[in-house]
Amino acid sequence: MTEQILIENVTFKYPGGELPVLRDVSLTVNKGDFIAVMGSNGCGKSTLGKLLNGLIPHYYVGDFTGKVTVNGLLTTDHKVAELSHQVGYIYQDFENQLVSPRVLDDASFAPLNFGYHDYKDRGRQSLATVGLTGLDNEFIWQLSGGQKHLLALAGVLSLDPDILIIDEPVAQLDPYHAEETYNILKKLNEDFGKTIIVIEHHTEFIADYCNQVVLMEAGQVLWKKNTQQALREVNQLLDSQIYPPQVTQAAHKIGFLEMSDYPITLAEAVSSFPCYLKNTSNKSVPDSKNSDQLESLIKIEDISFSYKTINRSRKKVLKDISLTINRGERIALVGNNGAGKSSLLRLITGLVKPEQGNVIVHGRNTRKYSPEKMADLVTYIYQNPEEMFIEDSVRKDVEFFLKARKVPDYKLIVERILRQFELTDLQDRDSRLMSGGQQRRASLAIGVAMNPSVILLDEPTANLDIATRKHITELISSLGDQVGAAVVATHDMQLVAEWANRIIVLNEGEIIHDGTRDSVFNNLQLLEVAGLKPPQILELSRRLNMSQLMYTVDDFVHSVKREGTSYGIYTKTV
Amino acid sequence: MEYTRKLSEKLSVEQVKIELLNTAYGNSNTFLAKLDPRTLFVWYLFFGIVPWFIHNQVILLGMFFFMIATTSMSKVSPLIILILSLGLLGQGGYLLIASWFFGGDITVILPLLILTLKLSIISLASITVFCSMDPEKLSDGLLKIGLPGQVSFSIAYGYRMLPSLLEEYHHIFLSFRLRGKAPEKNGLLYWRSIIYFSKIAVLSFYPLLLSTTKRARTTVEALETKGSFYGFNHPEVKKIKLAHLSLRTRDYTFLIFSIIYILCVFSVGNNI
Amino acid sequence: MSQLKERYVLTQSQKMMVFILSMSLYGLSNMITELVPSVNFGPIELSVEYFAFIPLTLCILFHPLYAAIGASLGEIIFGEIMLGQFGGFGEIEKFIAFSLAMFIAGSLVNDPKNKKQVGIAAITGVAIHQMISMMVDIGKVWIGVEELEAVPGLAESVVIIEGFAFLNDVLFSGILFALIPTLYLVPRLYGKIEPLLGLKPRDNTVKFSIGEVLAPRFIIIAVILAFSAFLFEFLAESGINILEWDADFVDRYGEWFIWVSLGIAGVIALITILLMLRNKKNNRLMDNQSEKKVLS
Repeated sequence: MTEQILIENVTFKYPGGELPVLRDVSLTVNKGDFIAVMGSNGCGKSTLGKLLNGLIPHYYVGDFTGKVTVNGLLTTDHKVAELSHQVGYIYQDFENQLVSPRVLDDASFAPLNFGYHDYKDRGRQSLATVGLTGLDNEFIWQLSGGQKHLLALAGVLSLDPDILIIDEPVAQLDPYHAEETYNILKKLNEDFGKTIIVIEHHTEFIADYCNQVVLMEAGQVLWKKNTQQALREVNQLLDSQIYPPQVTQAAHKIGFLEMSDYPITLAEAVSSFPCYLKNTSNKSVPDSKNSDQLESLIKIEDISFSYKTINRSRKKVLKDISLTINRGERIALVGNNGAGKSSLLRLITGLVKPEQGNVIVHGRNTRKYSPEKMADLVTYIYQNPEEMFIEDSVRKDVEFFLKARKVPDYKLIVERILRQFELTDLQDRDSRLMSGGQQRRASLAIGVAMNPSVILLDEPTANLDIATRKHITELISSLGDQVGAAVVATHDMQLVAEWANRIIVLNEGEIIHDGTRDSVFNNLQLLEVAGLKPPQILELSRRLNMSQLMYTVDDFVHSVKREGTSYGIYTKTV
Repeated sequence: MEYTRKLSEKLSVEQVKIELLNTAYGNSNTFLAKLDPRTLFVWYLFFGIVPWFIHNQVILLGMFFFMIATTSMSKVSPLIILILSLGLLGQGGYLLIASWFFGGDITVILPLLILTLKLSIISLASITVFCSMDPEKLSDGLLKIGLPGQVSFSIAYGYRMLPSLLEEYHHIFLSFRLRGKAPEKNGLLYWRSIIYFSKIAVLSFYPLLLSTTKRARTTVEALETKGSFYGFNHPEVKKIKLAHLSLRTRDYTFLIFSIIYILCVFSVGNNI
Repeated sequence: MSQLKERYVLTQSQKMMVFILSMSLYGLSNMITELVPSVNFGPIELSVEYFAFIPLTLCILFHPLYAAIGASLGEIIFGEIMLGQFGGFGEIEKFIAFSLAMFIAGSLVNDPKNKKQVGIAAITGVAIHQMISMMVDIGKVWIGVEELEAVPGLAESVVIIEGFAFLNDVLFSGILFALIPTLYLVPRLYGKIEPLLGLKPRDNTVKFSIGEVLAPRFIIIAVILAFSAFLFEFLAESGINILEWDADFVDRYGEWFIWVSLGIAGVIALITILLMLRNKKNNRLMDNQSEKKVLS
């Protein structure tokens, strides 16, 4: 093992910052490692990454002490340009890292700037490495999020660096693309001998792909351990707001295993948990309501929708969809990217009109009413909360709608909503300058303040770490009585499993299933077709042939404890 | 309101994006589009300046017909020509009317027509040249004639970021619309609605200023690691980038033909 | 190291950030104003000329030079090239006029919290820009029409129309889309936007060097003086002298003059071609310099 990166006693303060972001950090990374850096928000993870490619101290001229050596080069002695041949950095907001209009131009941008004559070949080769071929002349804005991420990766690979740093690869991607990205990183690590550093808190990915884990807190490195040991430190991780894999949490809560035997992957869990006989008769039946008592809020009748593409042909995104949304429903709209989820939501808001068919909300046909009028009934919460912030403080944003309509006593309503979403202390801050979780809370508060009959949420838990995700899920659940119905378009199966009472599966513009969590998660073929990845604990309960699917870790733990006692299987594993 | 609504439906953001890119990359198969940017620049250098100093109507007409020929060769969208004509006629018309107030008479028409003719030649020349270059060619050409690398980078960056910026602006604008309240009455000539929408259009830039600032930070960090500043300061990088530019037979043919034509026009013009 | 001294010595990347920010935002706004239809009442055009508040705000909050250049380039790229309206030489004039005006406006402010300063700067910026545009427009007719003074009423009407457009733009666009939004935005963004770029806010304890403060004021005065001199000469009957001299010149040398001007342009074009050919053969770096000189 050769030591490739050596960080020695580094302390760093951003220019104008009050406290050091890194405090006496020392860390060694060996060549060929696949290492995860974990830690809560603002603990200095990203700063650590910028330390390695020389942005610190060359670009951010703050107070820097200590020594960083990368591939034998002292970062203080070498420029960013030289260090970027050693270290590639992929940002969390990787879209802003892409600077050319077309794919190949962007991939070969760096080699061109450094004056390589074969810059195009280098670009092509790195595109091939990440599996992005045949798109050379495509415009970047036409790529999907996953493809853009791969392009950002290709862009840094074109300089053939030995070390890659990827800042939260999963945060901006849906589960399918996240896995794809990790598989490419794995290939780069194993076949090309690259050292990979991911800043990550999705421990299930860490368990599957990384061999080393670094835990940071408040600007310091707490420890570096191999992955098995690291993820078994359940208590310590939870203290740092990091959730270990669900199977590990379950093992920890049940408490029948030694810490050193905690499973960290699904496969390990299947062999370390007791097996049950599948009891099909005991399956819970979805609680179907009597349709006579249902009050329908939204009626969607045979709608079709398409949009224009660059070569002026039309691409169909929704085909003959009919749907009724009733009071009290909590609907999860699932399906892979491009299935038509966002289009369906936007049609309900009346911002776009269907080509065929009608959308009728509370008896109002969206064709006949302006989006402003529809906004009194339907609220749409954007995936990117920043697009909802139009004022310079949280409070002003929340009260905007009420004030514009001169609602009497709006101040009281605003106070209540700010309290509900725990924003009272943040009310004078500019929403844009808050953390991801705070922004999301603010966007929910803005939506609720519009007092809608139906609230539509687009990916409300995307880009959040798991702790914040749980919090947001709770807040969404608390909406319950405030709104008539809620529709969530999401990839987050944990949210679906814990919150929804009706699940609509879209695939290629058509509804291929409309049911409950049991009918969806029991249907393996459906999951496959729609590209849905159930939560780990649910998958475990299926593999263990448990009598019914477990949607949360707590359910699983209770069930195992109960059944475990009755079957007396505990002794087997101890 | 009806008007605004119809307009906003027609003018969807997707539509604008597509039209823009088609404008930029639509005409790449014409003869002129295959010329080297330097040829086009030199050609424009002549036809963009010289007409100002010529008062001979025959020569101007000769140039004008040549411009019509080249413009039709470059397959410019009719809309651009229409906008140009309206602009030129409008300006000439106002001048004409205004000059009559100051004691002008019928004699004003001729000088104004000549002025309009000159402006048309110059505008058509720029349309011919610049509509025949896609953004990449234009930025290569500008780099070649010595403009700093930042300019050609900015053009590329503009095309990269425009769709994202437009979309973000659109979303913010929609947030204003959906949460705000449009005036109940439109007022005379829609003035209430116009003020309302203008105000939103301006206010939407406050959020955009902050979010673009965040973008700019990542982008410039990435530029640093991708060696942009190294590229800007090292002339050999420019050479590699522009290695594909070359003057071919068609460039010389085009220039020689233009010179011969102009010489003919001048000799005819001076002898009539 | 004294931080105060370092203040306006921005690193290359910080300049680039200000530049990119200004370019993309003003460019976007320009595209939007180009797409919005204008309302015409005869020659009176009530159009949204431009969202000058964006470059004004940025010039006031950041380094005025990079914000000003960025904005001008943004206008050319988004508002002209992308819409297929790139105008060649006309763009050079717009670029210089707008950058200069915005730079001066930004330099006038040394305390972004001072509303009076910000307001004066905003209006001054628009006025300078419109004044330069107006002079150029008048100049175009002057050059373009042979013996302008011989055509009755034309000279006056040009000045009146352009003068009216000037007032219209300064009062309409200047107040609605420069003064008011700038006064609204600057205090809101001050101290909030700078840290996002890793910069410290400007404050009134730090001033530009005397040269930097003097230069813009000097330029404003010079521009105003030059402008009024130009206007008076143009309108006053004695001013016709210039035109007469011009006409004399044409009379005396007649056709010959045209051939000379034509010849000069031809020679410039020829030199450029030769230089390019030489460039191609030798590929020497120096050539770009000379090319640039010839072209400019």
